[in-house]
Amino acid sequence: MLVCVLAHCGGAIGAPRRRALAPDSLTADREEGAGSTVIATEEKAMTVLPGRGLKASLISLVVVATACSSGGGQSAAPLPGCNSGTTQVLFWTSHTPPDTDSMKHMVDAFNKQSTTSCVKMVAVPGSETDIAKLTTAVRGGTGPDVYELDRFTVAERAAAGVLTDLTPFGAASESANYLDFAWQEALFKGKPYALPFDTDARALFYNKDLMQAAGVDPTALDISKGAPTIDLVRTIANKLNKKDSSGKYTTVGFVPALSQGWHYTWGFAYGGSFFNASTCKVTPDDPKIVQAFKDMFWDWSGALGVDALQTFISTYAPTTPPLPTEQDAFLTGHVGMVITGPWVLSWFPQYQPNLHYGITYIPVQHQGDQSATWAGGWSVVIPKGAKNSKGGYEFMKYFAGEPGQRVYTKETQHMPTWKTLLTDSTLYQGDLKIFVQLLPTAHSRPALPVGSLYWDQLSTAQDAAIRHSKDPATALKDAATATNDKLQQYCPLAA
Amino acid sequence: MIAAPLLRRFRLSLEDRRNLRTALPFIAPWILGFLAFTVYPIVYSLYLSFTHYTGFGDATAAGFDNYQHMVKDPLFWQSLSNTLYYAGLAVPIGLVVAIALALMMNQNVREVAIYRAAFYLPSIIPLFALTFIFIVLLNPGFGLVDFLLERVGIPAVNWLGDARWTRISVVLLAQLGAGGPALIFLAALRAVPAELYESALLDGAGALRRFYKITLPLITPVILFDLIYGTILGIQIFTPAYVLTGGTSGGGAYTAGPENSLLFFVYYLYKNAFQYSDMGYASALAWVLFVISVLLALAIMRWSRYWVHYEAS
Repeated sequence: MLVCVLAHCGGAIGAPRRRALAPDSLTADREEGAGSTVIATEEKAMTVLPGRGLKASLISLVVVATACSSGGGQSAAPLPGCNSGTTQVLFWTSHTPPDTDSMKHMVDAFNKQSTTSCVKMVAVPGSETDIAKLTTAVRGGTGPDVYELDRFTVAERAAAGVLTDLTPFGAASESANYLDFAWQEALFKGKPYALPFDTDARALFYNKDLMQAAGVDPTALDISKGAPTIDLVRTIANKLNKKDSSGKYTTVGFVPALSQGWHYTWGFAYGGSFFNASTCKVTPDDPKIVQAFKDMFWDWSGALGVDALQTFISTYAPTTPPLPTEQDAFLTGHVGMVITGPWVLSWFPQYQPNLHYGITYIPVQHQGDQSATWAGGWSVVIPKGAKNSKGGYEFMKYFAGEPGQRVYTKETQHMPTWKTLLTDSTLYQGDLKIFVQLLPTAHSRPALPVGSLYWDQLSTAQDAAIRHSKDPATALKDAATATNDKLQQYCPLAA
Repeated sequence: MIAAPLLRRFRLSLEDRRNLRTALPFIAPWILGFLAFTVYPIVYSLYLSFTHYTGFGDATAAGFDNYQHMVKDPLFWQSLSNTLYYAGLAVPIGLVVAIALALMMNQNVREVAIYRAAFYLPSIIPLFALTFIFIVLLNPGFGLVDFLLERVGIPAVNWLGDARWTRISVVLLAQLGAGGPALIFLAALRAVPAELYESALLDGAGALRRFYKITLPLITPVILFDLIYGTILGIQIFTPAYVLTGGTSGGGAYTAGPENSLLFFVYYLYKNAFQYSDMGYASALAWVLFVISVLLALAIMRWSRYWVHYEAS
């Protein structure tokens, strides 16, 4: 029985307990039933053939084999809310509520109008760079028809052979509908492997209440005054720092690395370039990026005290693992300013409706410099081995197209990559407009077949700079060496 | 038939042969499962370790590339040293804790069943959940551990945010799982003949002396078992590091703990296989870990000749 249990029930055993997985547990029940029949049959065989052990054991083997072969097939009965005669499309996402609540609305709306496909959405474990669940399932022939994938890893996963080329579906003709940077991220060697979904941008959020309490005029950071200089932000931040009686920080004005203050954020802010397409080499050791690391990570944490800052972060803003949203350090007033994205806008009414905050551009080196931000976002793909890729593509066009992105933008405060939606002013209330205005000039991360590795290497260098364990120039040089080492096998990257 | 040389060697009687013929099909499902799900992957991973393979498409021959890359890969060396540092601390400390727990479980008091259950309880909590409890206890601002330390005048430690302490935190966490080995030690303690203690008592031996002269020598075979078992499990440490570093929760840390101090060997292997799509390198890492496990186990076996006491000898 071991073989059969492992082969057929493996999915149910390893799967998280979610309601969406009910059909799998039904399968398991059915097989347990089959198991008891087997035992009964074995006993019967033994009594029928006393003393003929060999025959009995052979019969048991045959019965086991038969039990295994039956009960494995799943009939694709249409789900509630689907039209009859439709075939099932399995859609996996690693997102969590409230995003998945909105996706459920999109799936329901699609199912209502489609006469050919019926989408079943399942939430699976995973993250921006961790697709272990997907790769093992695809390899085992049980992968989904559509998967939601972080767009900056599309090239990487396409290079690895996890994704289906969408050219045969006519995806190339969709390019004009999407923001150019988002479409570029969906390509690998010139071919489309994904349809872009949402996007975002980064900006500086500041807590007006904390500033006023410290005697700082919050209008100094008003967005109408343009991008603040890093010096101005530093001056304000220092006035907000507070320590308790034992000398531990309880409030820190600004921690550049917190939340979305990544290597890419400050690298772009300093005008750095992360990849050289002509040499097919990553360039984290660009002097501008090194300078950004030195100013924003090394010097900044040095001024606050390396250990004191780490204790503060571990207490109020740990990344190992992150605190629940309602305890976010900016929401609870433990940091005065933070670099983050538009998704935070939906947190305020929910968790801190009385907080007075403002939003402005990411700080610049010198007065009058052009502020830089970057945009990321997700996409939908068809993994290799999808059983219903045609239906999958039909759903993708809806989900990542105008109707789907309209619902998602309205409900989740993410921004669309569908061009015509960006000009629809009814979709953007309040501060989300600021982010929409940032999009046209936003940078994006280089779409590389080693994007995850590069991100991790940059994070390692960033961590070392903040903790003063390795100077930025050396740390970034090491990141370049390690990443280029793995990148070379894919060069040249052009079509 | 594979069974033929076996039959000759063990000189099976006709009856035995018939029994074997009957038994083999009965256990065939297990044998097939073992071959398909254990032996085949092991052999296949050895093959993969000599290729470049993403997990999809064709594997391309790579000779010793993966092994050569390891030598100059700083993260390989860091993950190896993190793992050995952890195992070097966790195994001996775990041994002492397990023996101490077993001794407590072995006390002749009325409520012993309650104590046994209480000591064993943390071992049956899923490691995933236990790790989350641990995170709260170790918070430098409002965690219980630092609160108590500060009460007795010891400066607070940033357990999970300071690279010097992260691995020690995981060693401490591992001690909550000492109930399992403690049960084995408890069985060993119960097997020590009571008359040895009685005669020692008559000779006036104290509790400590009885422990060092009777208990400890007689449980050395179990200590050896625990050392080897603990070492093999210890160098495969994964779950706590995965949970502590945010694991799959997006937006968390992208380094494995501060300064990659929680980048244990198997965690690095996992990242290569499932994040960087480099199954070839991951397979090579797995084989290096396997060889290290075997070498460590052999070394412990050899060393054990000097201190393990078998009653029969």
